[in-house]
Amino acid sequence: MRRSIKEKTAPYVLLSPYLFMLFVFFGYAFLRCFYFSFTEYDLFAPPQWVGFKNYLNLIQDFQFGLALKNSLQFAVIVTTLQTVLALLLAVILNQKIKGIRFFRALYYMPSITSSAVVTLIFMWLFQKKGLVNYLLTSLKNGYRIIAVFFGLLLMFQAFLVIGEKLKKRPVSCFEPSYLFLAVVLSFMVTFFLVKTGIVTMVEGLPPVETVWLNTKKIWPRNHRLFGISYPLGSIMLLNIWTTAPTFMLLYLAGLQDIPKELYEAAAVDGATKIKTFWYVVRPQLRNITFLVVTMGLISTLQMFDQVAIIGDQAPLDAVITLAYYVYINAFPSSVSPKIGMASAAAVFLGLLTLIIVLIQRIVVNAGEGD
Amino acid sequence: MKKSFAGVCLFLLLVVALFSTVSAARVQVRISGWGGSDQPIIEEMLRLYVTPALEKEGITVLYEPIADDFQRYIVNALSANTAPDLFYMDIFWAQSLIQAGQVEPLDSYIAKSKLLKKEDFIPSLLDAFSHQGKVYGIPKDFNTLALFYNKDLFDLAGVAYPDEHDTWDTFARKMEAVSKLDGVYGLALQPEFARMGALAYAAGFKTFEQNGKSNLFHPGFKAALEWYTGLAKSRAGIMPADLGQSWGGGAFGTEEVAACIEGAWVIGHLKDQAPNLNYGATFLPKAPSTGKRGNLIFCVAWGMNKESKHKQAAFKVLEQLTSPEVQQWILERGLALPSRVALTDNPYFKQNDREAQANYIVFRGASEGNVEPFSFGENGGRWMDPINEALRAIMSGELSVEEGLREAQFRLDQEMQR
Repeated sequence: MRRSIKEKTAPYVLLSPYLFMLFVFFGYAFLRCFYFSFTEYDLFAPPQWVGFKNYLNLIQDFQFGLALKNSLQFAVIVTTLQTVLALLLAVILNQKIKGIRFFRALYYMPSITSSAVVTLIFMWLFQKKGLVNYLLTSLKNGYRIIAVFFGLLLMFQAFLVIGEKLKKRPVSCFEPSYLFLAVVLSFMVTFFLVKTGIVTMVEGLPPVETVWLNTKKIWPRNHRLFGISYPLGSIMLLNIWTTAPTFMLLYLAGLQDIPKELYEAAAVDGATKIKTFWYVVRPQLRNITFLVVTMGLISTLQMFDQVAIIGDQAPLDAVITLAYYVYINAFPSSVSPKIGMASAAAVFLGLLTLIIVLIQRIVVNAGEGD
Repeated sequence: MKKSFAGVCLFLLLVVALFSTVSAARVQVRISGWGGSDQPIIEEMLRLYVTPALEKEGITVLYEPIADDFQRYIVNALSANTAPDLFYMDIFWAQSLIQAGQVEPLDSYIAKSKLLKKEDFIPSLLDAFSHQGKVYGIPKDFNTLALFYNKDLFDLAGVAYPDEHDTWDTFARKMEAVSKLDGVYGLALQPEFARMGALAYAAGFKTFEQNGKSNLFHPGFKAALEWYTGLAKSRAGIMPADLGQSWGGGAFGTEEVAACIEGAWVIGHLKDQAPNLNYGATFLPKAPSTGKRGNLIFCVAWGMNKESKHKQAAFKVLEQLTSPEVQQWILERGLALPSRVALTDNPYFKQNDREAQANYIVFRGASEGNVEPFSFGENGGRWMDPINEALRAIMSGELSVEEGLREAQFRLDQEMQR
């Protein structure tokens, strides 16, 4: 009898350090925050109860609307794209080719690099005279050369494939060895044409000087509700690039759990690669997709660091997210903190995250029925 | 066994008691300001002046530099009761701390002091740190805006130097002329009220009208905005960000612009980054409509923590930190301008040296025309945000002046309702 009590209490004893942390740093903090959201509080004078005033102010605040719009755009677009990209990367890196470990390590690099450092590098890339604009300028000026190269590539490949087909040999249009040969040949010919001056760069075009960060321009233009601001779009690219590899790792683990027999059975039934992926691999990865999408939504809705680091380089309105809105209200420049407003916005963000994740769960569960 | 244990305890208690009486005689006063270039300066100043003066009284001073956002640090430290005894207060946000009741009023200390008197300090600076007739901060230095220009570039272009007789129109023509040089733009135009505001004040703009609101459609504000952003249409002006620089002084140091509007802080930057740059300084140009100049006053003061445990000792430190000797030393090193009235006729200013002359221009800027403190009441820095955004949008061609003003006024009204 005594033993069984011991056994019953043991898990709780082992859990207690974590539970203690949870209650102090999450439970207590959450309750305080919930309470503060109904008060006016500047960290010094005792909080004054004001009821729902903070929430009403939130709804009326223009900047809060912008933050909400930016956060939702960011969450939807980044989660979608990074999930697709992670799955693609995982499928590619799941193949048995030489040096695959090297490529896995390489593709995982962006995720283990410090977010602050990566953001700084991105800021340099997206300067008015930065690398992105330089590459775009080169692309614009050299379009003739690029067109000649791809034209030749197409010609050589067609020539080689048709030659084989005429000999009645089975050959795919993208036969790798021919593709390699065609690339080498067309590169040599293009190089020769450029050196002899037959094909030239376009002269006299103005360089691309798109302002990526320090602007409020939106794309598509004149869509105030759905348009994505240039700086936010840049942050989206950055975020997808850094988080996709983490989720790729989860997908990779999931892919390696799929039994070989399923692939073999599909192959016996004559399924193409795309069909195998869609009807065999995708359903097997359902649980992982749920995990990836949920984690993606939660982390994107709370995105803060990249906006904070970009700071003055971009207009606040164009990049402000809900998490950053909370922050600038808690620590506004040169005035007393508005903890009440910040708490109200934080509670709103928490509820919003909960609702979105619940909706996603319902959608996934509904999908399971068919 | 038990006896010896009790003995040890007694001994330990005695030792502790002994040491605590020793340490009670020595008081440590913690002071805090920004890190970066301020740190070596303050530490040297403490070593040369403050520590020797307070040695007899058993007061030691510890400087705690804060590299990150200082205002955020001090708000957190004050609310958590871990704040230092004396700390920097920027004119920009001092009132928010003072009105929250976190700063000790200094009048009773000043009344008893032999070293520190109110009338020794420039009144407008002291006013900025006063609330309901009480003084809460002793200004340690101040800054205003001046026009810095690159003499070599003007010589090369054969254009007369900007001078104190310039109005906006004559000055713009000079900028236009000097920007004919290859690879040189005229004036560095930071998209910030902290620069453009001086011009708006020159044209008669008031931050707050009598009803407590701000009217950006005031003719003076509009004229200043049109003139400032108009320069960016030609090569007569450019935003530093377009040159990959974060501020006007940066672009001025690399000789990409012929002139910039900055305070005395640019002198130290030029000394480090462009020691051979042959520059001059003059007053900002006058507004043609009023014939006056405008300026902004930037100022930092020492404030005392209301919850400090060593208030008397802290005040003694404060006396030393703002003493005439220390201010003279700071001035001669070209670090900042003194806040003491008596230093106005300082021989340092009469030196035939570009740094001393530039400092003199900045010093006199405080008493030329319509001068306003760089602070915006309860609204703080958020008051400027819509204006800064409008400046940026207009200069990068995203909005017209009219659209920019309308947008800024809308956002400002929103901000002031909060």
